[in-house]
Amino acid sequence: MATNPMHQFEVHRIGPEIKIAGIDLSFTNASLFMLLSATAICIILFLGTKEKKLIPGKFQLIAEIFYNFIAKMISDTAGSKAKPYFPFIFSLFMFVLFCNMLGMLPYSFTVTSHIIVTLLMAIFIFIAVTVIGFLKHGFGYLKLFVPSGVPIFLLPLITIIEIISYLSRPVSLSVRLFANMMAGHTMLKVFGGFVVSLGMLGGWLPLGFSVALTGLEILVAFLQAYVFAILTCIYLNDALNLHH
Amino acid sequence: MIDLKDFKTRLKIAKDKFKNDSIITNNNENGSFMGTAFKLGTELVSAVLVGTIIGFILDTWFDTKPWLIILFFFLGSIAGILNVIKAANRMQKKD
Repeated sequence: MATNPMHQFEVHRIGPEIKIAGIDLSFTNASLFMLLSATAICIILFLGTKEKKLIPGKFQLIAEIFYNFIAKMISDTAGSKAKPYFPFIFSLFMFVLFCNMLGMLPYSFTVTSHIIVTLLMAIFIFIAVTVIGFLKHGFGYLKLFVPSGVPIFLLPLITIIEIISYLSRPVSLSVRLFANMMAGHTMLKVFGGFVVSLGMLGGWLPLGFSVALTGLEILVAFLQAYVFAILTCIYLNDALNLHH
Repeated sequence: MIDLKDFKTRLKIAKDKFKNDSIITNNNENGSFMGTAFKLGTELVSAVLVGTIIGFILDTWFDTKPWLIILFFFLGSIAGILNVIKAANRMQKKD
């Protein structure tokens, strides 16, 4: 069981079973790690904003770097109109980042390696962006599916293609994060298993791979959180500034 | 209390240095480039998937198996290619 590379993704219950109206709402290891990352974010940001010094301390510096990073990303990709959505994108980025990074610790559980978690976030973003688009532009938002300068007899076909392309957004958003996290962690476990089974003689090569992969995985963990947030910004940009 | 005047001049010197340092901004662009590169693959696959699922649902709805699933598979593929082209355009616009 310990050598099964998929064992690390198993969700199991911690504490008593809680069932409300036939739905299992028990506290699991997934909930524990979501709670842990949310707590970690709160602690870091609380420590960072507690003393507002002119010359920042370590925690204030971390908080300021995160703030500047997201603020710059939003203004670069979605423009000044997207400023009201800063809190949402900031929390989204921080949550995904901390879930990914906590998953890199040995014996921990990666929440974002489950498609239900990422799909839920992606569908929420998708619905929110669609609602924002319709609120801002009314039925003019449907122009998104009708590109200008297309011959009239091609229009139905192009519209169907554009709609499929629009509907594929939550899928690509969620599958990307989930697949990257799951594939990376499975690979780490497989190489770890090679180290054990090859022993002292041949285990050094996979051990080296494992070390290199860990570095790569930390990069991927950051990059996927970044991509998740920046794509949200891009979708938001489409909904807010409708002209292309 | 820290001497504010001294700090201001030091900040100015540091800021000027930062402006001249092109390496830092370069690094930043590299990171976002890699981020956009990572997403192209799923962009293509997800549209095919969504197209096929739509085809499947419409097929069971209208009882026309398997024609709509074939049609929407191809439409999904076109949408996927369109997605990749859009993403590539976005990447070029950034530079």
